[in-house]
Amino acid sequence: MMPPPPATAGGSWRRDEARFAWALALPALGVIGLVALFPIAWTVWESLHLHDLRMPWLGRPFVGVANYAEAMTDARFLDALAHTAGFVAATVTLEMSAGLVLALALDRLARARGLIRTAVLLPWAIPTVVAALAWRFIFESPGGVANAALVRLGMAPPTWFADAAAAWIPLVLADVWKTTPFVALLLLAGLQNIDRSLHDAAAIDGAGPWQQFRQITLPLLAPALLVAFLFRALDAFRVFDVVYVMTGGGPGSATETIAIYTFTVIMQHLRFGFGSALSVIVFAVAFLFALAGIRLLGGRAFEDRPS
Amino acid sequence: MRHIGFLTAAALALGAAATAASCARTPPRVLTVSGSAVGREGDLLRRQIERFARLHPSLTVAVRATPDAADARHQLYVQWLNARAVDPDVLQLDVIWTAEFAAAGWITSLGRFRPPVDDFFPAAVAADRWRGALYALPWFVDVGMLYRRTDLVPDSPRDLDELALLARRAQDVGGIPYGLVWQGARYEGLVTVFVEYLGAFGGRILDDAGRVAVDSEAADKALSYMRDAIHAEGIVPMAALAWQEEQTRLAFQAGQAAFMRNWPYAYALLQDRSQSSVAGRIAVTPMPGAPGGAPTAALGGSALAINTHSDQPSDAYALIDFLLQPEQMIERAQVVGQYPARPALYATRALAEALTVSPSDALEVIARAVPRPTTPVYHELSQILQVSLHRALTRQQEPCPALREAAAAMRALLARVQLTPPGS
Repeated sequence: MMPPPPATAGGSWRRDEARFAWALALPALGVIGLVALFPIAWTVWESLHLHDLRMPWLGRPFVGVANYAEAMTDARFLDALAHTAGFVAATVTLEMSAGLVLALALDRLARARGLIRTAVLLPWAIPTVVAALAWRFIFESPGGVANAALVRLGMAPPTWFADAAAAWIPLVLADVWKTTPFVALLLLAGLQNIDRSLHDAAAIDGAGPWQQFRQITLPLLAPALLVAFLFRALDAFRVFDVVYVMTGGGPGSATETIAIYTFTVIMQHLRFGFGSALSVIVFAVAFLFALAGIRLLGGRAFEDRPS
Repeated sequence: MRHIGFLTAAALALGAAATAASCARTPPRVLTVSGSAVGREGDLLRRQIERFARLHPSLTVAVRATPDAADARHQLYVQWLNARAVDPDVLQLDVIWTAEFAAAGWITSLGRFRPPVDDFFPAAVAADRWRGALYALPWFVDVGMLYRRTDLVPDSPRDLDELALLARRAQDVGGIPYGLVWQGARYEGLVTVFVEYLGAFGGRILDDAGRVAVDSEAADKALSYMRDAIHAEGIVPMAALAWQEEQTRLAFQAGQAAFMRNWPYAYALLQDRSQSSVAGRIAVTPMPGAPGGAPTAALGGSALAINTHSDQPSDAYALIDFLLQPEQMIERAQVVGQYPARPALYATRALAEALTVSPSDALEVIARAVPRPTTPVYHELSQILQVSLHRALTRQQEPCPALREAAAAMRALLARVQLTPPGS
């Protein structure tokens, strides 16, 4: 956020100063307008029109909110919304908990810190499509490694990608594996900002490790936790590549997320107007979510920062 | 206003950069053709185009490479054609795209060139028509066929019940894991498999009047049969619900299945001893029928069409005409195993020598070929069906309600798009 120009309390040099600041900021604002605001505005405009590439003779008539009305009654879209919400809940919970454990462990490391941290970050560095392909091979039926392992343990593995419930397991696992290191790294940075002497003082006062964690680590880690949570929740909400590669949204449409459905509507069905409406809904939800996150938790978190 | 001026300048700069990067279109006229440009198929296309160029010294012909995956190629075509690109002049179209491209005004009607339509398979030509006009010509035909292990099953099954019986026996007596494998993943291939079962029971996706008919009794029987083959009889493996063509071929060529439903491309690969353990022990027939219907093969394949915005349509047609000549088709059959779209060739010795499979076996299947619905909204129509079929096959829904839902959604789609022809 740009701080507003200083109030025009003083003389004209202040106004000049402010004007100069705006002039300096103008190129950056222009770029933001071009790459962020303009496409969003265009998509909103498009979403108010009937625009179907397959039927150019229909033209591009203005249809008001008809596309939004259709989305609200489209069972497949509402299903996709529910699937996405479930995916966000599952992956973010797992990633935040696993990431926290990992960060605490890394923070305690005495030796070979750099090396181990790099190694931990590896899954994050692998392109998602490649990682998703590898996970698909692991869960392939009947010859995949996962099935072989489960059979050895005496269990009867499901046919992962032909089972509406079981298909979620490889998807969530792949996403958690891929992005937990990212959460861990963010939290590790937060942990290292915590003053050691607080822990030492608490230890002298007789606080055990659990108490220290509850009373010192967690509250002071809140800003980092919030940032990691927002990043992950927004990313998971827009999930595309993992699902596209592993299940394509199947079986049936059991794992279809909003991003997958929007892609299908625009790129395969060529319904640009309706697809834009779906995109705008996704954008609005993500935007409100981010706003709420920053307003509700962010203010407190940023103010309470010990400096 | 300044903002708009800046945008225009940026767009012009980008445009100039793009032109500079691809300024092949200078005085000597370049005719471009897009299609499968990888592997042996790509080499073959380039070879044939060179021969064409030697016959037309005034022309330079180039291949515009496009992705091999159907969906990716479709997307690229849409981007090009919707932007009114003059390039490529000649397009290789999947058989199910012609109506969509014709209705959108992206490909030009071929009527003025007076093509010899009677020389090609009528079913293939039918798929290239939209509102009575011809928009493409069939290049090669693909048909779904039943592959069989002759060592396990000497005689071809008379009907679907016998197919199930023989498949089971091969599993029980022959000790192989799968009786039958087909493409059960949720994609276009599943619709082609369904079309064959549907035809076997006497059903259709759309009736002659273009009305949705997937909630018929025949469709319920067909889908129930497919589901039971997996879950009740255990002939088709559950894993096949995530399989496309190559996974079924790999299972079959490793000797794991008695029967396989697949396209013609698999034949030559299965007969190749360096990779296949079933070489010399396979035969093909049409998928068998059932009471109330007839043996049916889904029709696939490619057609050639001309970009509406091409600035040299007659040269483009000359190239299409050249690629569809018998010699080119026979060479194609020999190099990549694709079936010629001209019925007359199936009686020739040249084709018998070119194809691994016997032309009469191939012709028997082609005679059963049924095209999928010809409509500009085919993609969307098919996807509705794919989702419902896959739900029933993965037991998320019973076949009957799944098909009823699909039919309702398909009817709503066709009603919503109200296909009015251009100019009316």
